[in-house]
Amino acid sequence: MKIKEVLGKISFTTTLAMMIFFVPAVGLAEKLPRLHGFMEHAGSARFGSDDVRHRQFNLGESRLQLKTDYYFSGDNILSDWQTGIEAKVDLTLDYYDAGKVLTDIRELNVSFTPMDIIDIKAGRQVLTWGTGDYLFLNDLFPKDYVSFFIGRDDEYLKKPNDALRVMMYPDWFNIDCALVPFFEPNTMPTGHRVSYFDTFTGGISGVNAERDIVEPSKTAKNFTYAGRIYRNFGSYETAMYYYGGFDPAPRSYKNEVGRQLYHERLDAYGGSVRGPFFGGIGNAEISYYYSPEDKDGNIRTIQNSMIKYLAGYEKDMGGDLTLAAQYYLEETLDYDNYRKALLPADYRWDEFRHVVTARITKLFANQTVRVSLFSFFSPNDLDAYLRPSLVRKVTDAWTLSVGANLPWGKDSWTEFGSVQKNKNVYVRLRYSF
Amino acid sequence: MILAVAFLNYSFAAEAITAVEIVGKANQASYYQAEDGKAEVRMVITDSLGRTRERVMVILRKDASEGDQQKYYVYFNKPSDVKGMTYLVWKKPGADDDRWMYLPALDLVRRIAAGDKRSSFVGSNFAYEDISGRGTEEDEHTLLGEEEGQYKIKSVPKNPGSVEFSYFLIWVDKVTFMPKKAELYDKSGNLYKILEALEIKEVQGFPTVTKMKATDLVSGGNTVSEFSNIEYDIGLDEKIFTERSLRRPPRKYIKG
Repeated sequence: MKIKEVLGKISFTTTLAMMIFFVPAVGLAEKLPRLHGFMEHAGSARFGSDDVRHRQFNLGESRLQLKTDYYFSGDNILSDWQTGIEAKVDLTLDYYDAGKVLTDIRELNVSFTPMDIIDIKAGRQVLTWGTGDYLFLNDLFPKDYVSFFIGRDDEYLKKPNDALRVMMYPDWFNIDCALVPFFEPNTMPTGHRVSYFDTFTGGISGVNAERDIVEPSKTAKNFTYAGRIYRNFGSYETAMYYYGGFDPAPRSYKNEVGRQLYHERLDAYGGSVRGPFFGGIGNAEISYYYSPEDKDGNIRTIQNSMIKYLAGYEKDMGGDLTLAAQYYLEETLDYDNYRKALLPADYRWDEFRHVVTARITKLFANQTVRVSLFSFFSPNDLDAYLRPSLVRKVTDAWTLSVGANLPWGKDSWTEFGSVQKNKNVYVRLRYSF
Repeated sequence: MILAVAFLNYSFAAEAITAVEIVGKANQASYYQAEDGKAEVRMVITDSLGRTRERVMVILRKDASEGDQQKYYVYFNKPSDVKGMTYLVWKKPGADDDRWMYLPALDLVRRIAAGDKRSSFVGSNFAYEDISGRGTEEDEHTLLGEEEGQYKIKSVPKNPGSVEFSYFLIWVDKVTFMPKKAELYDKSGNLYKILEALEIKEVQGFPTVTKMKATDLVSGGNTVSEFSNIEYDIGLDEKIFTERSLRRPPRKYIKG
């Protein structure tokens, strides 16, 4: 009898508990957005004789990415405007920095459609446009080149911005505007994790690099504006671009004695076209970089204006093999003024910098294995950068990636020569959910 | 006299359907039902060891007001590492399709070189062409006969270098013109791939394949596709099939 009573009580309490907790929980779970993301362990071995914090590796981390979104429903204005909230956060346990835990909010934004032809997205978001493959002309949104060089996923090459993005879709063309109130710089090698050529020390430097980077102050006059107008003509996509802000990489000197670099003002105007070409996809892009602080190019400490040109081609060869190539040219304007302004001890950059890239991608085993090689080569700088990779989708959830970053250069002060001591081989194991 | 003419007409009508017409009608029945449509697709890819992978997506389709051109929009729900990825195809029979893919993590709209329509669709045993259709003019079609209420047709590619098969056989329902089965033969004449419509249901009056299977006899793998929540003539706006929707999926049609 007692047992029965107890059982009865248990079942009564259980039922009550279920009614109190479980039923609303189910209701809530249905209302709550689902959580997705991944857990990833990543590590690299490096072959360098430089002076970064750890010579043997430059990547060692366990990363948890959580993302969710929520769309309003029901009979209200938020639902009418198809309002949605997106959030994505990375929690990283970084063994490179003695087990420091880093929180990186990669997305936290609200998007809505207040009018038929207008989409608005406000908050932290990744912004991308342009036609280049790892070469960016009109996309002056921030990049993380440290992540790129040490073997993190491509996702981390793009840094998020806190931005207000307004996209308009009238009948004749589309308009895409972004206002970024607080300038976000590129993450560049500092010598802590990735060594680079430091003009102040005159060589490839690690933790001994001494430089102070001055960022634009957070004021309304330092807002960054970017815009794109684009439309298709049949199968051809055309676009015009504008950027008004600062050079995302600190390329100019504020105070040489104080070893201070800064982000000079930069305005960019460009255009691109992309579409079918000889059985593949061709693209061409141009961008004029105007340096308002050094209009005539005769201030030796500030970047000159430039024109950047890009032409690319990609073709599907059949059998899951894709080949792609790009040719890129950077022309420094007012080069004579720049040359005349130089002091005898200054490094002199070429007037023209040429870069060719090639990408070979082949899929195997029902597209569960992707083998890829991306290579950069500059014939005038005589430097190069190879990025081989192999990605195996073990199951729908598990992905194993191995790859290498192999920069090389005849000289140490060129783009890829500068990071040549950071050759590494990396492994990443990811569980997606 | 009148009777004779009528009889002649009758026999003409009954016999004169050519292989090309059958394949054309089968193509219409498979890929061009109604003006537009929506379906949720669940693909289960099984390899020779019995290991499975799953693809879940929503497909929206709209036909051009004239001709065979179509636009497709695909939103991926599973696997979770591609959730939110979107895909846009402007299908142009007789020419290269225009294809775009959007990677939300990078906010990147990629243009995809569309060369090989015989390559696998999302790693399944279906080729791109099996999903979006193969132009009827690309093969020479011969009516071999009739089997159990179905036309049996042999199709030989006009440009053999562009495909991996030497010919295929196709069985088409005489009443609905739905293709029931196809067998693909390799360059040595061996059967290597079978496509089957496992289930056909009527949706809003249109006979519709709701379950189909591709079996790869060489690798031993197969893919089963199930279509659910199918709707036709939902009045999809042409503007859905643009870069805008790649970035901002039309929530009205895409849940989850």
